[in-house]
Amino acid sequence: MKTGSIRDYLYEPPGPHTRKRIRIITGIALLGLLVLLGLIVRQFSVTGQFDAKYWSFFTKWTTWRFLGQGLLTTLEAALTGSAISFTLGFLLMRGKFQGKLIRGISTFLIEFTRGVPTLLFIYFFFLVVPKTGWKPSAFWKITLPCAISACGVVAEALRSGVNAVPGGQREAALSLGLSERRTFYRIVFPQAFRFVIPSLIAELVIVLKDTTFAYVVSCADLMQNAKVLISNYDAMLSIYLVVAVIYILINYLLNTLSERIAGSQRRSVQMIPETNKGVAAHG
Amino acid sequence: MGFTDLLSKYGAQYFQALLTTWRLTAISFAGAFIIGILITVARVSPIRPLRIFGDIYVQIFRNIPGAALLILLVYALPYLQIVFPYDVCVTVATILIPSAFCSEHLMSGMNTISPGQIEAARSLGLTFLQMIRRIIIPQALRSSVLPMTNLLVATMLTTSLASQVPMRPRDLTGIVSYINTHDTGGVTAFVISAVLYCLTAFAIGKAGSLVDRKVRILR
Repeated sequence: MKTGSIRDYLYEPPGPHTRKRIRIITGIALLGLLVLLGLIVRQFSVTGQFDAKYWSFFTKWTTWRFLGQGLLTTLEAALTGSAISFTLGFLLMRGKFQGKLIRGISTFLIEFTRGVPTLLFIYFFFLVVPKTGWKPSAFWKITLPCAISACGVVAEALRSGVNAVPGGQREAALSLGLSERRTFYRIVFPQAFRFVIPSLIAELVIVLKDTTFAYVVSCADLMQNAKVLISNYDAMLSIYLVVAVIYILINYLLNTLSERIAGSQRRSVQMIPETNKGVAAHG
Repeated sequence: MGFTDLLSKYGAQYFQALLTTWRLTAISFAGAFIIGILITVARVSPIRPLRIFGDIYVQIFRNIPGAALLILLVYALPYLQIVFPYDVCVTVATILIPSAFCSEHLMSGMNTISPGQIEAARSLGLTFLQMIRRIIIPQALRSSVLPMTNLLVATMLTTSLASQVPMRPRDLTGIVSYINTHDTGGVTAFVISAVLYCLTAFAIGKAGSLVDRKVRILR
């Protein structure tokens, strides 16, 4: 999956003796994995989970339309949440380059949102916010906490991108007579933004995963619609498995896209390789 | 309810919740670390089935949402006649997800080792396992202290999943939703948990950068 990595030069082409040993161990490993797979399949069939009644409704168009509707809400929440978190993150990042007071507040907010689990923000919007008189819809009750929880990481990613733009760029722009403001928006930030596109996509994945908690605020996302299907067809395992696979596939595609972009950036001229790693990596 | 009322009524429970979160975090991180190393060894081994298994494992648990995994473990596995208590389900979920990220960090830590070192090790006659144990793993660990620190914080955040099942004792997130559904904890109840989370994250971060300064390999 990863080319040009340490996997490729860890060992030289094996000789005949080693080849034989590798073949034997490969056989044993393959056997072990097959036994594992067999045990899983056996457990499914012993408990009757392969029965047609648990799977036949997946051939119906309505099932997929219903799941698709949920998926659309999930994607809508993830994209809206990401857009908000990018905006908030941008403001916090700008705050980090301001005077002492604003910098202090920004640092505090960044560390706060990074250190508190998303679920706590969700419960805050679920339990406390409605009592203040403001009653956001279920969609916003899941989207806003996810956005807030991600904005600190986004701010740090953007900041590392800005710091990775060579100082000479800023100096050149300033000496050409551009104002500080124009220098930042015209010269520094466009370059920084390119560096951090992979981190931002990775962050989108994290927001998308966090929206799974939408069932807490009963927003009809993919997970919530899956629950409705389960009560309709009385098929818990098959539906949850399919839904989990849908989530995994979407996130896998997004992560692959992020890695592709990061890889092509590293190959192109004089990109600073360290900027795209590490900042926004966890879910 | 004010801060003092809240603390006098629920102080002991908050303390218990903090310890629960810490315990879950420590157990999950240790488990994730061990599995992460094993999966990484499988991913760089010359045994193809193991490589593929490792890659699939990482992609699954890197990309599955925590809630989806926990729900599968708690509510769907019993249909396969596999029933775990709630705390085991939570621990398994909070081990599996960080272990995938752990392996990814170790892989990128290994990628900082130069091919010359591998060649040197080989020409000294080290076997594959010796090379892994003496050359690769120590360097991969030393250059991944900061990502691992972030992983430890992420693991702590993941343990908030415990609030999604009726697990006793409650964790820092569970206690807040309990207080706010049974009592009027208000904003203060949230702030107490948030501050406890943040202080823990802060302490982890400080410890991490201290260790990193000690063991970092300057190249």
